[in-house]
Amino acid sequence: MSAAQAFVPVTAEQVAQAAPRRSAPFLAPVIAPRESRRRRPRIVYATVAVVGVFAILVTQLLLSIALSEGAYRISALATQASELDRDAQVLVESLDALRSPQHLAANAEALGMVSNASPAYLQLADATVLGAPVAAEAGGGLLGGRDTMIGNVLLADMALATPASGGGASSVASTPPVPGSLASQPAQPGLAGSLPSPVTR
Amino acid sequence: MSEQRRTRRRLAATILVVVAIVAAFGVRLVDIQVVRAEQLAQESEARRSIPVALHGARGDIVDRQGAVLADSVFRYDITVSPRFVKDYDTLDDETGEITTRTVWEALTSIAALTGEDPAALLARIESELAADPDDDHAYLVRGVVTDIYQAVRDLGVPWVYAERVASRTYPNGQVAGNLVGFMGTDGPLAGLELGLDECLASSPGSSTYERGADGVQLPGTTVVQQEPVDGGTLHLTIDSDVQWFAQQAIAEEGARIGADWATAMVVRVDDGHIIAAAEWPSVDPNDVDGSDADDRGSRIFAAPYEPGSTIKSLSFAAMFDAGVTTPSDQVIAPRSYATIGSYRIGDAWDHGDLRLTSAGVLMNSSNTGTAVLSERLSLEGRYDYLTRFGLGDTTGVGFLGEARGSVRDPGSIDGHSAVTQMFGQGMTATSAQVASAYQAIANGGVRAPLTLVTGCDHADGTTTHAPTGEPTRVVSEQSARATVGILEEVVTEGWMRSLLEIPGYRVAAKTGTAEVAEAGGYGDERIVSVAGMAPADDPQFVVVVTYVRPDTMKTSAAAAPTFRTIMTQVLKTYRVPPSTQQATAYPLTW
Repeated sequence: MSAAQAFVPVTAEQVAQAAPRRSAPFLAPVIAPRESRRRRPRIVYATVAVVGVFAILVTQLLLSIALSEGAYRISALATQASELDRDAQVLVESLDALRSPQHLAANAEALGMVSNASPAYLQLADATVLGAPVAAEAGGGLLGGRDTMIGNVLLADMALATPASGGGASSVASTPPVPGSLASQPAQPGLAGSLPSPVTR
Repeated sequence: MSEQRRTRRRLAATILVVVAIVAAFGVRLVDIQVVRAEQLAQESEARRSIPVALHGARGDIVDRQGAVLADSVFRYDITVSPRFVKDYDTLDDETGEITTRTVWEALTSIAALTGEDPAALLARIESELAADPDDDHAYLVRGVVTDIYQAVRDLGVPWVYAERVASRTYPNGQVAGNLVGFMGTDGPLAGLELGLDECLASSPGSSTYERGADGVQLPGTTVVQQEPVDGGTLHLTIDSDVQWFAQQAIAEEGARIGADWATAMVVRVDDGHIIAAAEWPSVDPNDVDGSDADDRGSRIFAAPYEPGSTIKSLSFAAMFDAGVTTPSDQVIAPRSYATIGSYRIGDAWDHGDLRLTSAGVLMNSSNTGTAVLSERLSLEGRYDYLTRFGLGDTTGVGFLGEARGSVRDPGSIDGHSAVTQMFGQGMTATSAQVASAYQAIANGGVRAPLTLVTGCDHADGTTTHAPTGEPTRVVSEQSARATVGILEEVVTEGWMRSLLEIPGYRVAAKTGTAEVAEAGGYGDERIVSVAGMAPADDPQFVVVVTYVRPDTMKTSAAAAPTFRTIMTQVLKTYRVPPSTQQATAYPLTW
């Protein structure tokens, strides 16, 4: 074997022929004949792959930014909702205390309202007067100027309403009578036996 | 040849090593994925997921119009992390200025908001630190209301935190306070809060969330294992407006005449609904400590007393029903009536033999006349009628700690008490029992079980605790009507006419001035009451007013004006049409 021969590519057949003769070459470089002629790697594929990877990474990044953006919004809105819940609770609490009967009665008195000890009704069906009408007395409120004795610590720092200028019972008396709640239900006056009653709650 | 063998040996060794490594990995894999899989999964879960208890809201108690008597709210415990307490910097958002605030400044602001003493707050922190320098949790102020919590939070003190706690508020204060009851720190303590806790109590749920290494909750990892269930809404028959009015009325009068305590009941005749069950003194469930320990229960249900003459109405209805007398039956009411041994029964006023009809005996409230007539009923008959009127047993309400009162049965009663029992001495009844008995008389002899609770609406839409008892007939309709007619005479002909009459309405009522048993007999203390109904021609409401041991006025005239104001208010509130028919007069004497 000459030195020039050593650089001649060896084909598979040659190796196969040589094998029985020679014992040593266990592994030998093989060059497939067509491979050598085939392409050098084309740049376009590499570009596509790299760009694809980057596109995926960027999309993922944007997606997770959007997601966390949403999470922040959810968190902000949840905080706002619980804050509004708290405000609602505060308002409902004070409303319930304000409309407790002792507070309403004391307020009505402070505004100069009186109640009639002698109940009488005008029946709208036939314009008859039921009961014994007697004019209500000034100072005839439910409390009659007395203190409410039914305590409520929730009302401790709630002020009573103040009467409009001119104040007290006199200003109430001078206002023209408002159609009372008894007349405020046009659907019911036909009912003879029962007295129309306002829906107060 | 030797080279080849060496290569093979090398190859074998390599394969062996590879197999060994793969086998080791395999064993480890099986160990992790199969053998210890569950345990490891749990461990990792536990390391990441944080359990959170979910609390349902305790149910509301509402009156017949839906006005809230007991409401679940949140309060806040202001807490502090003592080991981090130090001066801190705050950033003003507008000016961008950074200012340093001292601990004392922070505590002063918190104290000003919560009404505490800043020095006390500081002392609390220092004592916590003295006990444990690494202490991470201490209460500064407990149970502050929401707007104060918001104000404290807005101070932005970095070492101050808040914990939300469920609490209870009673917007109407003392109105129906004794019925509603109240909560202690660990649960319900009295009234309906305790008695119907099974309706009101919520059941807690549980959830977990997962957190990252930095302790921040991972979004979307909250898992609810069990939803909490809110407590049910308890609906009462009470009308809080009437309830307040009745409480105000008995409180004013009770204080004026120096009574020990007082009750007023308003019961709707048709169905036995308790419109008002007022008592004085009463408890404000918002401020339990502000009331005497004895005033925190419901005396209406739990305090039996000897009611006295108001029981005569029951006895006469019973005697009319049994046919042993009629309203016009002529009897002689003697000056005194001997029972057993030296025991004698007398009247409140001195008189000779009175020629009264049965109607006259009841109208004049003669004990001796009642005694003469009562003896016509057998012992069994007397006991039977009184128990059918509901005496000696709990009412249908089943209020916590409700008393039965006592009516002695024929086997154990003595000959004297068997007579006095018929006019309300030697026996006891609660205000609720008296009101229930009068409801039967007003309702044509049919006693509907007293009702305080109409139902409990649960979160899942079901309703429980609906009233169950059936109305029972106690006496015939005719007997009941006759009794009401005679009670009307008490109002129109009696000496308290001016105190009891309501213009436009026919009112039927019976007064009672009972002696109070003390050690060694009856003293000069009295229990005064008026029980009655209106309108007499078609009774709609029963009102019973009772004052116990008044100081300045020891007759039932003390209770009459209160009876009238409460009855008037009830008739107005419920738009009861005034009476149109004339009353029939019963002959009272002969």
